[in-house]
Amino acid sequence: MNIILIPILLPLLTGLALLLISEKTKYLKELLGIGAAAVSLLAAVNILLVHPAPLHHHWLGTAISFTLIADNLSAFLLLAVSLFSLAISVYSFSMPNKGSAKWFYFNLLMTQGFAAGAALSDNMVAMLFFWEGLLVFLYTFIALSQNTHAAKRTAMKAFLINAVTDLCLLAGVTITGYIAGTMSMSDISANKLTLDYGWSLFAYVLLLIGAVSKAGAFPFHTWIPDAATDSSAPFMAYVPAAIDKLLGIYFLARASVYLFTLNGTMQLVLMSLGAVTILVAVMMAFVQKDYKRLLSYHAVSQTGYMILGIGTLNPVGIAGGLFHMINHATYKSCLFMTAGSVERQAGTGELSKLGGLFRAMPVTGVCFLIAAAAISGIAPLNGFFSKELVYKGTLDTGYTVFFLAAELGSFLTLASFLKLGHSVFFGARPEGMKETKEAPFSMLLPMLTLAGICVAFGFGARFPIEWFIAPSLAGMNIETGLLWGFHADKLYFVSVIVILAAVMNHLFGLSAGGGKPSKSSDHIHYAPVLKETYALAERKVFDLYEQTMDRVVPPVSLALFKVDRFFDWTIDALPGGVASFFGGASRRFHNGSYPLYMALTIAGAAVYILLAGGLK
Amino acid sequence: MDKGLLAYLLIPLLSAVIIPFAAKNRPKLADILANVTLLAGLANLAWLALRPSIIRGEFADIPGDGLSLLLVAAIYLVAFCVTFFSAWFLDEHLPNRQAYYSLILVSVAAMCGVVTTTDFFTLYVFIEVLAVTSFALITTDESSGGIEGALKYFFLTFPASALIIVGIAVMMMSLGGLSFESLRIFMAADAPAGTVTFAAALMMLGFLIKAGVAPFHAWTPDAYQGAYAPVSAYLAGIVTKISGVYAIIKLATLLRFFDGRAQAVSEMVMFLGMFSIALGALAALKQTNFKRMLAFSSISQVGYIVLAAGLGTPLAIMGAVFHLLNHATFKTVLFLNSASVEKSAGTTDMDKLGGLEHSMPWTSWTSIVALLSTAGVPPLSGFWSKLLIILALWESGLKTYAVLALLFSIVTLAYFMMMQKKVFFGKKTAAAESSPEVSAPLLAPVVLMSALIVALGLLFPYFYTYVKMVAERIIL
Repeated sequence: MNIILIPILLPLLTGLALLLISEKTKYLKELLGIGAAAVSLLAAVNILLVHPAPLHHHWLGTAISFTLIADNLSAFLLLAVSLFSLAISVYSFSMPNKGSAKWFYFNLLMTQGFAAGAALSDNMVAMLFFWEGLLVFLYTFIALSQNTHAAKRTAMKAFLINAVTDLCLLAGVTITGYIAGTMSMSDISANKLTLDYGWSLFAYVLLLIGAVSKAGAFPFHTWIPDAATDSSAPFMAYVPAAIDKLLGIYFLARASVYLFTLNGTMQLVLMSLGAVTILVAVMMAFVQKDYKRLLSYHAVSQTGYMILGIGTLNPVGIAGGLFHMINHATYKSCLFMTAGSVERQAGTGELSKLGGLFRAMPVTGVCFLIAAAAISGIAPLNGFFSKELVYKGTLDTGYTVFFLAAELGSFLTLASFLKLGHSVFFGARPEGMKETKEAPFSMLLPMLTLAGICVAFGFGARFPIEWFIAPSLAGMNIETGLLWGFHADKLYFVSVIVILAAVMNHLFGLSAGGGKPSKSSDHIHYAPVLKETYALAERKVFDLYEQTMDRVVPPVSLALFKVDRFFDWTIDALPGGVASFFGGASRRFHNGSYPLYMALTIAGAAVYILLAGGLK
Repeated sequence: MDKGLLAYLLIPLLSAVIIPFAAKNRPKLADILANVTLLAGLANLAWLALRPSIIRGEFADIPGDGLSLLLVAAIYLVAFCVTFFSAWFLDEHLPNRQAYYSLILVSVAAMCGVVTTTDFFTLYVFIEVLAVTSFALITTDESSGGIEGALKYFFLTFPASALIIVGIAVMMMSLGGLSFESLRIFMAADAPAGTVTFAAALMMLGFLIKAGVAPFHAWTPDAYQGAYAPVSAYLAGIVTKISGVYAIIKLATLLRFFDGRAQAVSEMVMFLGMFSIALGALAALKQTNFKRMLAFSSISQVGYIVLAAGLGTPLAIMGAVFHLLNHATFKTVLFLNSASVEKSAGTTDMDKLGGLEHSMPWTSWTSIVALLSTAGVPPLSGFWSKLLIILALWESGLKTYAVLALLFSIVTLAYFMMMQKKVFFGKKTAAAESSPEVSAPLLAPVVLMSALIVALGLLFPYFYTYVKMVAERIIL
């Protein structure tokens, strides 16, 4: 068997096997899940190092080839997927809020297997197969994470949003394959498509929608904050924070630089999309009052940087986007893990009820500090370097406005993490949390690992860039210059200014909010104009999904219902009525009267004879 | 006259003569004699047609045109089922037990005569013999309904006899002969048709009346409903089919409908067939009496056969012959079941029946098999014959008829499902409370027929070769 199949098949088979195990067994399901994830990680490392031969299976004759290829980018992505799977499965070992252990690990392993398949597929049909598989387990993951109605509703929301955009992707893949004459991505890349005429532009836009929606960009992000409240921390750390980002950005990069040659207009579209995502989401994140919900908006916001980076279309920006993708997955996963452990130990995720937990949970606190500093782009952590690359790429395109938007996003990111950290880990500890203790080791280990990666990728930024990012770009035939190294140039000083501004903002907010850290965003939250906008946003006026569900779906479904009634009537009531009418008439006619029958017979015979005699 | 099959005519006639004398003081002997006669005939037929060597040779060794043999087999089969059923069904004190069996055997002989004859006058004679025995059989239990039914049958089919005899006279005058062969040769030649066709059209009209095709169907519901229960099955299953429908098919092939001769008659026959399908099915929808619904269903099914015969292409003739045979099987099952229900629950009024499936499971299940076959549900035999008919219509460009035929087979399913629901499914009614399953000998004929329905459906490829052979011989 080709080793390339192990990261796909092993999780899938283990996931199915888990369903056979009794709910009563202790630890067995958890250990099996961890074991499968660990073996998959080893296989992924092996794949990255040796690049095994591609795997081909023809389907429908030779029309569609089921091809798995581990090129540099795919192998890198596979490694990331496997790493986060292992981290989350270890983390979830003693996490009580994850729902049924059997179903949690089942969903986790299924997601892992399908994600690995999507990363390795070279054929777009095969990739779609895995991609749609993820959709199924996205639904079950959320729906089974809590036994509440809200969880089901959010699961449906996530499912519908992603189903619609996946349909776009399906259409895009079909059109792309039709234009290119092949479904194989490596074949298409040898002869890239351009956006010169309508169909290929349409195809690219559809692919773009599919990719950014998976990554959770504006305006397809609205299910993520809902999932933050209605599902578990491990799910958030795994799917929206890690897997979805990895796959979405991976395919965005594939489509934008591997399959298509984009033009200036599309570059502007992409960069605008990135900038808008950054700003909209971070504005929302800044005023959140719940730990996970705040993080979830950041998960959206950070996607904007990656899209912005890839949208620059220059090697530095693309490298920055990809680097930011892996960095984001690392620190955001870590942050969600700290949220999970705080929730587990303190019993709540509401910022106003938390405080001063650093002393009680020092390890979690340290992890939080590292990850928060990383996401805020503080040197020399990994987030700093990837953001610098994105900034540099953005400046190289000459559109300074996007650079400014990204810096504004950075400012608000840091400001909101100052608020979050201050509210949770510092300040006065509430009365009820005197006894709060540190989380168990199985939760700390993955957190520490990820925090360690944040530090390592910061100080040693050259290694991930040299090992993963540069080869990936080279695999897509992009020439890269020097991408790593610390430069005390203008960009660095801008970031220092942003940090200072954020700190000052926080101090100002504190004093305006009466010293309560959880109210330190109120001066912006309730500022004129913004206050009304936020109020509208909280009523979900800007949520495309909710608006569609409220405004469009009821009238449409009513109309469809009426149409359905009509069809029902025409095939049910109408023939029955007609048949019954004729039947009744004929029953009344057959009244047993001999003269009537005789008259009928003779009249019929007379007509027949006349006709047979040639009368026409 | 096909002499090879003469024995099938003479032996029942002989038994019919013997029974009144031999069984004068031993009524049971009448049962035995009648059954043995028919069973022996069936065994003989099976030996003739179902030997492995015959099947392997694709029935090439069958004597005659094959159709006669097939219909003789159907006659014996239905007659045997009915006499076997009657042997346990008849009241002990029925005064004319011997006469009953004699009449059945005479009518079997007459039917054999009808299907083996080769000229019109003999055909007419046997059909009249058949009609006379039928009147007598309908009144077996001397009920008022039976007598009314018999009278209506007699008077309303009387014009048919008149028309046939007039037709024969005209044909004698214009053609100079009455044999089938002379008509066939005349139609194959290119001579102007004129009077001969008109004579044939008159005969055709007579047979249409005898077959109970709408609008000449008015006697059928009353006759079938009023007749003594097993006799209904006998009449509906085979007698009226032989006396009317068989002759229509025969005449259709002789008139060479398939190559466009006698176009006007062909079109009228098809129209009347379609009209029968529609009228019978729609009227059946609203019936409340089990037997009366079956009678209307019979009109509708006869319509399919007449429609196909009117079309006259080889495929259509195959469908017509096969549907004739299928009609004999499924309608016999349903009428015998209605007789069982009548015996067990005391009524055939569907509004009073209900929930009989619990107490009469065999009756219920065989009804389901038969009604599904009638409605043309695969893989039962009725499906194939309807398929052949509809295919033939479609191929000939008569798409409206094809679609209507298909639609009315849905209506067929509808009224039969209603029947099944009212009689067998649902809650038990007062009438159904004390209605045990009938005895095994009463079930045996319907089970045999149901098995035949399934077998003919599943073994259709073999049967198809036979029917194809028949269609080729009678058309070419």
